[in-house]
Amino acid sequence: MALDPKRPQKEIKYEEMRIYSDEELRNYTEEELKNFKIKHDIPDLDELEKGPWPSFVADAKREALHRRKLAPDRMLIERDVVEDMLGQLQLSFDEGETHWKHGGIVGVFGYGGGVIGRYSDVPEKYPSIAHFHTIRVNQTGGKFYDTNFLKSLCDLWEYRGSGLLNMHGSTGDIIFLGTFTEQLEPIFFELTHELDQDLGGSGSNLRTPSECMGKSRCEWACIDTMDMSYELTNYYQDELHRPAFPYKFKFKFDGCPNGCVASIARADMSFIGTWRDDIRVDQEAVKAYIGGEIIPNGGAHKGRDWGKFDIQKEVIELCPTQCMWMEGGKLQIDNKECTRCMHCLSVMPRALRPGTDTGVSILCGAKAPILEGAQMSTLIVPFMKAEPPYDNIKEFIEKVWEWWMEEGKNRERLGELIQRYSLQKFLEVIGLPPAPQMVKAPRSNPYIFWKEEDVPGGWTRDIKEYRARHKR
Amino acid sequence: MEDIKKAILEFASDSKKSKFYFKDMEKAVQKLLPDAKSREIKKAATELVNEGTLIYFSTGSSTMYGLKGRGITEDPE
Ligand code: SF4
Ligand code: SF4
Repeated sequence: MALDPKRPQKEIKYEEMRIYSDEELRNYTEEELKNFKIKHDIPDLDELEKGPWPSFVADAKREALHRRKLAPDRMLIERDVVEDMLGQLQLSFDEGETHWKHGGIVGVFGYGGGVIGRYSDVPEKYPSIAHFHTIRVNQTGGKFYDTNFLKSLCDLWEYRGSGLLNMHGSTGDIIFLGTFTEQLEPIFFELTHELDQDLGGSGSNLRTPSECMGKSRCEWACIDTMDMSYELTNYYQDELHRPAFPYKFKFKFDGCPNGCVASIARADMSFIGTWRDDIRVDQEAVKAYIGGEIIPNGGAHKGRDWGKFDIQKEVIELCPTQCMWMEGGKLQIDNKECTRCMHCLSVMPRALRPGTDTGVSILCGAKAPILEGAQMSTLIVPFMKAEPPYDNIKEFIEKVWEWWMEEGKNRERLGELIQRYSLQKFLEVIGLPPAPQMVKAPRSNPYIFWKEEDVPGGWTRDIKEYRARHKR
Repeated sequence: MEDIKKAILEFASDSKKSKFYFKDMEKAVQKLLPDAKSREIKKAATELVNEGTLIYFSTGSSTMYGLKGRGITEDPE
């Protein structure tokens, strides 16, 4: 489905947005980089550059050298910002303590999130990072960018910030690292008015929704993740920018249970594409896999010889619910037992495909350790259709928010609130009957309890009548 | 809406703390105006922020509200 913009798209004049010429961007040689030393001694950070992995230290040094060689009127904050950042990090390594302090009133007008205040607590030593605020920039759907857009974004940040950025933070946004307070409003203006680009969420609000690339590139996508995320981001703008939640709240959208954005581990509300009819099987292709004509796993493990493909060992015996078998040369699946784990589909993508009656499973409550330990989301809605304008999903979301905003304590995530009140209570609030799919393993999390009104005759019984039938 | 705004300001100036969570503000407003809905209180707070009377205070992970010029150093420097 083509993108259907929610409002007319602004035509961005990239030629006017660009700040630096190509010569300015490539203003140092690799030879110069080799001999370059930043102004602080950073022995431990130098160590981090060794070894086979890419290093942020190496990247930061490039940026430091680049800034050294830019003309002074081509940057609006201090030239040394990157060098001071590295210097302070070395100090923190030496002392085993951080020298960032956070908080304070930084922000842009009308927004309660998107900017995070950071200050150095040793500014006399590292004056260029006296302020080092972070700006969250809402990433695009599926993280597809026009390179002109990225260049304009980088130019803006080089000019008004440190030039250091993070593609992408764990919530999904592009993170601009380090600028001074007086640059915040101009950056906000350029982003929103010139680049038609919004900030992401931070603080006690809806965080920037994120999604896998879904139907744009992936044949497994059971839902249009990019469309859902785009719709809900627009629909819940107020929740994104004007914090009134007890704490943060994250949505993430995975197109199928392979979970490329790991929504199950990282979102208060995880949306995972699934299907409720049968896995589509192409028996000819199954035969071709068995015969070795098609490489399993889409060729992902072909770097080594793993021997001949064995469907029994590699697929059937690894099915977590043991619901597959071969019969008369054909692969059989007992679909009602299938938990949609995606294993067989991932091994034999040309033979097996998700069904066509697709929708989402909604899980709630994942979080990193804060008040309580880390937890994964728990299945709440086994299946729901997910089609624009997603009214059924919005209705569910709002029921959950209403309860959390009412009962949640300050800084209590949804998952912790559910733990405090029990899943049974949560199901009651959102009006869902308990279902076997919600139980992780029999007897391990029994939250289906009988209530007096559910039992014929309630808790009282006629003991005489009972004794008439049962001797003591 | 004006009632809610008044109640918020009353709470903000009387409260011992110079910054507070939305929930605490909400509770205080609902004590005075039991019918005030959470959404309305949020709208009123947003208006006060837009007028420049209230300010957001954010640590990055959670957000608080405060009365502009009261107790919070606007610039921690
Ligand atoms: S989560 Fe599923 S649909 Fe989305 S990109 Fe990954 S494999 Fe494809
Ligand atoms: S998706 Fe998983 S549970 Fe379902 S049949 Fe395939 S391997 Fe078994």
